[in-house]
Amino acid sequence: MPESKRQPVIETRGLRKVFRDFWRRPTVEAVKGLDLTVNDGEVFGLLGPNGSGKSTTIKMLLGLLRPSAGVVRVLDAAPDDTRAKARIGYLPEVSHLHPFLTPRETLMYYASLFGMPRKEAVRRTHELLVMVDLEHAADRAVGGFSKGMARRVGLAQALVNAPGLLILDEPTSGLDPIGSREVKDLVCALAQGGVTVLMTSHLLADVEDVCDRVAILERGVLRAEGKIAELLRQPDAVRFEVEGLDEPDAAAVRAELEARTGRRVRQEYPAMSLERYFLQVVARDGQQRAFAMAPFLGAAPADTNS
Amino acid sequence: MFPHDGQSVARGLALKQVTAIARTTLVEAIQQPIAFLILLSAVVTTLLVPVFQFHRFGEDGRLARDSGLSCMLVFGLVLAAGAAGRTVSGEIARGTASAALGKPVRRVTFLLAKALGVLAVSAFFWLGVLSATLLAERGSAHFITHKDYSGYVTDVITLALSAAGVAAALLVAAARHYFGRRRFGVSAFVGVALSQMLVALVTGFYNRLGQLYPLHGEAACAGCGADHAHAAGWVFYHPELNLRVIPAALLVLCALAVFTALATALATRLSTGSTLAVCAGVLLLGLAGDSLLTGAPFWSGRGLAAGLLPDLQNFWLCDAVARGGRIAWRYVGEAALYALTCCAFFLGAGCLAFRERDLG
Repeated sequence: MPESKRQPVIETRGLRKVFRDFWRRPTVEAVKGLDLTVNDGEVFGLLGPNGSGKSTTIKMLLGLLRPSAGVVRVLDAAPDDTRAKARIGYLPEVSHLHPFLTPRETLMYYASLFGMPRKEAVRRTHELLVMVDLEHAADRAVGGFSKGMARRVGLAQALVNAPGLLILDEPTSGLDPIGSREVKDLVCALAQGGVTVLMTSHLLADVEDVCDRVAILERGVLRAEGKIAELLRQPDAVRFEVEGLDEPDAAAVRAELEARTGRRVRQEYPAMSLERYFLQVVARDGQQRAFAMAPFLGAAPADTNS
Repeated sequence: MFPHDGQSVARGLALKQVTAIARTTLVEAIQQPIAFLILLSAVVTTLLVPVFQFHRFGEDGRLARDSGLSCMLVFGLVLAAGAAGRTVSGEIARGTASAALGKPVRRVTFLLAKALGVLAVSAFFWLGVLSATLLAERGSAHFITHKDYSGYVTDVITLALSAAGVAAALLVAAARHYFGRRRFGVSAFVGVALSQMLVALVTGFYNRLGQLYPLHGEAACAGCGADHAHAAGWVFYHPELNLRVIPAALLVLCALAVFTALATALATRLSTGSTLAVCAGVLLLGLAGDSLLTGAPFWSGRGLAAGLLPDLQNFWLCDAVARGGRIAWRYVGEAALYALTCCAFFLGAGCLAFRERDLG
């Protein structure tokens, strides 16, 4: 879809949040006049150091925190509008789960909050448990789960309603590299199916892998915003990549370039990322698994009237 | 995934949400070891009263009954206030409230469902302790005039069956936990309550002297306190339980409902400990309010306190059951209406407090 035709899914204007103590005295201003737009079908990354206001912003988008000032519109509705929320999937920063419930019960519980018929909820729960590779632990209480397993349950509950807008707060936190890769693949697959994704992460490589646009927050202030490719481009540098060039030829090319431009030319032998190497090693050992994403690939955004 | 437009669909959705949240609250509350311990303490204390009565003035049954109702009120208040505090303020602190409210759930729906879930816990507790109270009263020493024996008789069989019921419930819960990986707390809580109800039904198969029915004529009656109409024919089943306790117990249930609503409202802003402390204060003032606050002008501090505090004396009428007395059902209905008004007031205030609550 052309950039200009995309509808805004999330819009904030002059958004502020001041936390107050018991006596209503201001303690900290977590978000300071944030203007943000996330368009339909985008994968948008919200970055920033700890305490920059990312999670606070997300909670205001969901109506969990009341803004001190400013305007928030999500799916063209107020943040606490239940019709809009019915189309949102939310993965909190920490997978807040009832420790005594099993993953199956957890997903059934969240499905019932969406008013899903029981038969459909059972089917959906099964699909999601397969997707996050937790079928074997579906009937164990989540209180005994590792952080990564709890994260997988959290991710499954965020997808229980086949959301049109997915809000992921630190989605790869607590996951091993394989799980992390799977989450990123899932995000890409959902985005291909038309789902809008807003995600935060401390892991910049994760954001770089999947996001179309990013915004960088620092102490509640928007410091930068734009497409990743544009933000990261170094316009005064050019890189050539040639496969299988031997050392004498490489030296000759380098000398020629230096002679022509009068500038110093840097010669590098590019290495793959550690993540890619790790995944290759694990795949070689036959241990790599993948989220069973078939039911979610090409998933259309949730229709409010169907 | 919001299926259709229209008010009826929205109502259906809200009903589903209330059911799901209330059920989760119920399970969460009763799987806590403290809930089971409170029920166990209330039942065991009630059942022990007839065993350790040393001063008899012909009122053993009354003492057992009053003790049972007292246990029902005091332990029930701790359970209701604690469960409401833990489930609301605990969920806010743990973030599970945020996770639920991130879905299309209204805050009002969430809070009301929480209150209903805790009320279900209280109701289950109430059924268990009511059964134990009926059994304790039947088991305590009664003066009987029977063709075989006249004098004080303690129904040891009933007391032994009640104790065995508790033990069996614990064993079954342990077995379910070991073999079926079921939650011990839930099984034990439900088991103890059900065991007492079951024993209450079983008592209908024998009289206070331990003679099994069917028995004919005077042989059947062993001081059941009934009108002895059955003495003329065969008796096949006669529980000999003092069912006049039920209206008094229903009034206690009304008090538990009021405290559930109060604790739920308080827990939207206070921690569990603070909620319990305020509830304890309201209990004391509510019981003493009748004598401390009555007669004060409405627009005085005492008058306003009298207006705002629930008058708990309305719910404590166990003396009315003494010496064959009965509590009129009309009174129970009016008290229930009063309790409903108090609940609506507290939950309304709770919804207002929760509406503006930041959920971190």
